[in-house]
Amino acid sequence: MFEREDDIVERVASELRRPVAIDAALDARVMREIALDAAPTAGPRRIWPWLAAAATLAALLVARPWSHVSPESAFQFVLVAPQASSVALVGDFNDWDPARAPMQTAHGAGVWATVVHLAPGRYRYAFLVNGVEWRADPAAPKSIDDEFGPPSSVVTVGGKGS
Amino acid sequence: MTNPLSIERVEPSDAELVRRVRAGDSSAYGALVSRYRDRLGRYAVHMIGDREDAEEALQDSFVRAYRSLQRCDDPARFGAWLYGILVNRCRTTGARAARRRRMFVHDANALNGATHSDQPDRVEWADTVQRAVARLAPEYREAFLLKHVEDLEYEEMADLTGAGISALKMRVKRAREQLQRFLTEAEHV
Repeated sequence: MFEREDDIVERVASELRRPVAIDAALDARVMREIALDAAPTAGPRRIWPWLAAAATLAALLVARPWSHVSPESAFQFVLVAPQASSVALVGDFNDWDPARAPMQTAHGAGVWATVVHLAPGRYRYAFLVNGVEWRADPAAPKSIDDEFGPPSSVVTVGGKGS
Repeated sequence: MTNPLSIERVEPSDAELVRRVRAGDSSAYGALVSRYRDRLGRYAVHMIGDREDAEEALQDSFVRAYRSLQRCDDPARFGAWLYGILVNRCRTTGARAARRRRMFVHDANALNGATHSDQPDRVEWADTVQRAVARLAPEYREAFLLKHVEDLEYEEMADLTGAGISALKMRVKRAREQLQRFLTEAEHV
């Protein structure tokens, strides 16, 4: 059947304009890579980020620990949670008190962030979303205590050379 | 008229996010990645044809843009600047990929939830289009995608590609002609 070039082009373009599913974990890979760049220029108040981003329609968090951590280093936790109205970082380091580490969403697109200072040690932590939903970090080791309590993850902050 | 190279949002703007990143808040870059991932990813997938290579090119483009952010002269046009990086990166990847057999996307999610069983015509058409686009010479495919899929003006395309406007018009014209021929051939196979 004869079809005008304009019609064919429009049909092709229409097909190609359809959304293409890109792996949401790509965000986290990018952020991890640039975090390695950012650290050397961050100065004395160096932030060794636990960075993550993997946004599906629901919220996901991905975080990674960094090596070569000095005592009392600052860690930035980033959570991509587009649907959340509030997020707090709670853990052993702040007595699981949501009021002590509320995360801010200054970046839009549901990116929540906060910074905590951690000395070398092992800490359990979790995210409290909307004040009621406990969420472990799916990319970090799970706390072995999870079986009897709300979900949580574990971060081990190493000393020099760790 | 809406600039096709920017995404309208209430807040924060691209310029604001770029300012925060430059001030040392690398996490603000996550919002930019999230904002542009799918749209740029679509271009990369169609341009390169191979999903894995396309995502690698996309990731590399985001990282390169971050490392070169001080050279983004107009942060309000971060999207256009980022697009230029991706276009160049796709050219490099495309040259390598051309030496390999192409793979085509058969992703039900990418087809708005269509499945092979409930929309066979739809999937077949998508496959036919992908194969036809893949047969275009890279410079024709690039011009066609930027003009007809990304809806760019020729001036914007010239900025991104470094090619002259008359050359771009010629490439788009050839791409249209060839697509019509390829698709007509496909109908008769």
